Amino acid sequence: MTIYTLNINQTEYEIEVPSNMPLLWALRDILGLTGTKYSCGIGLCGTCTIHVDGIAKQACQVTVSEMENQPITTIEGLVANTLREAWLTEKVSQCGYCQPGQIMAAAALLTSTNNPTDDDINTALADHLCRCGTYQRIRKAIHQTAASGGIV
Amino acid sequence: MKHPHNPSRRQFLKLSAATGTSLIIGMMLPGCNTPPDPIAIATAVTTNTIEPTETAGPTATPTPLAKFEPNIFLKIDESGQITFTAFRSEMGQGIRTALAMIAAEELDANWDDLIVTQAPADPAFGDQHTGGSASISGSYSLVRRAGATARLMLIQAASQIWDVAPDGLITEPSVVVNPTTDERLAYGDLVAIATDLPLPENVTLKETKNFRIMGQGKGVCDGEAMLDGTAVYGMDVRLPDMQFAAIARPPRNYGSLDNFDDSAARTIPGVLDVVEVAAGIAVVAQNTWAAFEGKKALDITWNAEKGSTTTTKEMRDLIVEQATPSTTQEDRFDAIYEMPYEAHATMEPMNCTADVRAESCEIWAPTQNPQAIIGRARTLTGLTGENITIYTTLMGGGFGRRLEVDFADEAIELSITVGKPIQVVWTRADDMRHDYYHPMSANYVSASLDENGMPTSRPRVRPYQGAGVRTGYWRAVGSVPEAFSIESATDELAVANDVDAFDLHKDLLPESVHSLLDLAREKSNWGEPLPEGWGRGMAYHNTWGVTPVVQVAEVSVDGNEFHVERVVCVLDCGTVINPDSVAAQMEGGIVFGLTAALKNGITLENGAVQESNFHDYPLLQIHEMPVVEVFTIDSDDSPSGVGEMGVPPIAPAVANAIFAATGQRLRQMPFRLTTA
Repeated sequence: MTIYTLNINQTEYEIEVPSNMPLLWALRDILGLTGTKYSCGIGLCGTCTIHVDGIAKQACQVTVSEMENQPITTIEGLVANTLREAWLTEKVSQCGYCQPGQIMAAAALLTSTNNPTDDDINTALADHLCRCGTYQRIRKAIHQTAASGGIV
Repeated sequence: MKHPHNPSRRQFLKLSAATGTSLIIGMMLPGCNTPPDPIAIATAVTTNTIEPTETAGPTATPTPLAKFEPNIFLKIDESGQITFTAFRSEMGQGIRTALAMIAAEELDANWDDLIVTQAPADPAFGDQHTGGSASISGSYSLVRRAGATARLMLIQAASQIWDVAPDGLITEPSVVVNPTTDERLAYGDLVAIATDLPLPENVTLKETKNFRIMGQGKGVCDGEAMLDGTAVYGMDVRLPDMQFAAIARPPRNYGSLDNFDDSAARTIPGVLDVVEVAAGIAVVAQNTWAAFEGKKALDITWNAEKGSTTTTKEMRDLIVEQATPSTTQEDRFDAIYEMPYEAHATMEPMNCTADVRAESCEIWAPTQNPQAIIGRARTLTGLTGENITIYTTLMGGGFGRRLEVDFADEAIELSITVGKPIQVVWTRADDMRHDYYHPMSANYVSASLDENGMPTSRPRVRPYQGAGVRTGYWRAVGSVPEAFSIESATDELAVANDVDAFDLHKDLLPESVHSLLDLAREKSNWGEPLPEGWGRGMAYHNTWGVTPVVQVAEVSVDGNEFHVERVVCVLDCGTVINPDSVAAQMEGGIVFGLTAALKNGITLENGAVQESNFHDYPLLQIHEMPVVEVFTIDSDDSPSGVGEMGVPPIAPAVANAIFAATGQRLRQMPFRLTTA
């Protein structure tokens, strides 16, 4: 057990955990940031997506020790009002469980690519599974965000 | 509470709020000793319509009600805030929103004034099991009357204040208006007086043309919380002093334990205890990850003798043999259509949180069947019902998996053993390998033919299901192989007789669905040219006889690969409460059905499920999503279910489209093209 300093949503946290604990479980069980969801645990589903220095990563695939002092953003700290509005306008969510991960992936895509094509969306969201089948609406919401001035 | 005999009063009860500042309308369900009631009948139908051929199922039957108790609450407080208590479980089908829309419509409420809370499990709410796509159809009339009753009482309160007859007063959203004087009183300002009024005997429901809320697209009422991380699913429940647990379960279905060594597991940082439980061996820890790591570190010897020995390949051969007719006849069409075992694979794996104390038991469960958990808690804790509280959380998908209570059993048992609040979390592999599976099936289809080879009626199907693994309810249950079989066979017969598939359906189906077929033909551009290598196929299914759906799929083929490009989905679900939700359920049903049609099934070796995660049981991905267009028939009929009805037609529509494009007839899911 080691003490690590994590910078999450512009707040510093000190936690004492094993070095190889995936960030996902530090967020959920140590820090109470349960907006980042668990689903597959092996980097296949995108449900636990967070940003590390603005890049989308799966929180189950990075350890606490690797993440020390890196700027981490979770769904709770993501500023993406226009993206969330588009999600609500398109009525994307069904069960909603995968949507924090979808939003994090979409936000990273729109930050790097102002006007993503369908292929760009397919690539960026390929590993973001939704059992409810909201894909058509996710695609529309991303295009709508881009068309209305991008992510703000 | 006495049992009122006046039938018009039987279903409603005005309850005094504790503070005296809220008007609460409770709706009543009659007890088991009362005359048949439409709502009770609808509830019974709900129960019965779920796949009769399945062996496993919810362990709860609706608890008989010995007295009138509230079924649902609509509360208005003096600030004007309106609270609707949802009594069915939300798993993404939009039920919390749709039920609230119905109540708000008849109350004539401003939609923005409404908040939705979740009812705890209580037989007083009637049957709370959420399945069979029957939550709306089973409670539509009741919820409308509750809203209308509250509205009338608010009008009566205003009439007292203004000293005018109530008949001349009207409502606008959350306001009573006197059109003569243009005086207005907000609902919140009328609560104090309305609370003291007697319940009206008769209420008038709105005419369809006056609907302001129903028929409008509303996003799910939890939409914002789902996007900022504050929505609470089962796995997000956090209690003071809570511990986490993961359970090692026998790999083989119905397997058992010989012995285990937990010395390595106990050295994992964060592991608190290792205990044998009914389901296997539980590792209790300070956090989920430590529980998972501790579970991995267990050295377990499972019993080599006990348990299922089912192997998928042998089981398939067996049921195909059973399904194969002993004779063939000139005047009979025969075919066998197959489907593998399927898993639910909800995005949120199974989990449950329980806090069992000497005098109380509280359970936070992502469940479609909260009252069944009360029964389990009673059995396992020895406590009585009033000391047991079940909180139904949001669910990261349900699809029938969460009608079962196995995950709740484990949490209750462990909390008793450990003496702490405990959350049991299943790994993805646990979830994939210990599901209640949709059964593998070989479906024998036959149709009698006239002298020209035309079917004299719709093809009939007889399913033969695999055993050796626990099975359960899976979105649309037996309707999925049924539709695949009958609608593929119908297409085969249309092709064999060189008749149009829509025309043949009109020959074989009652006139009541002909307009549906016509609309689907029109919206799908049926008969119009497609690009080279594409094919178009259609399928119809009327799941449990309540909601007929037609789907037309367009598929492009390139070598052995194919892509479903577009699906036109036309349905008749009666009055549409929330069009966005209806379309979402069709989109979701199509994706669910396509995943089964295109991806892998579940396989067993010596009784053990082989798949463990999304690499070997993949789900449909965004690039595989077809363009889905949904159309509903204009109707004033009572609403019928939509949650499962989008699933059954998609597999045969795609199979028929693939045939149109390639000439290959696929009678086995998942679909694989064998030649270019």
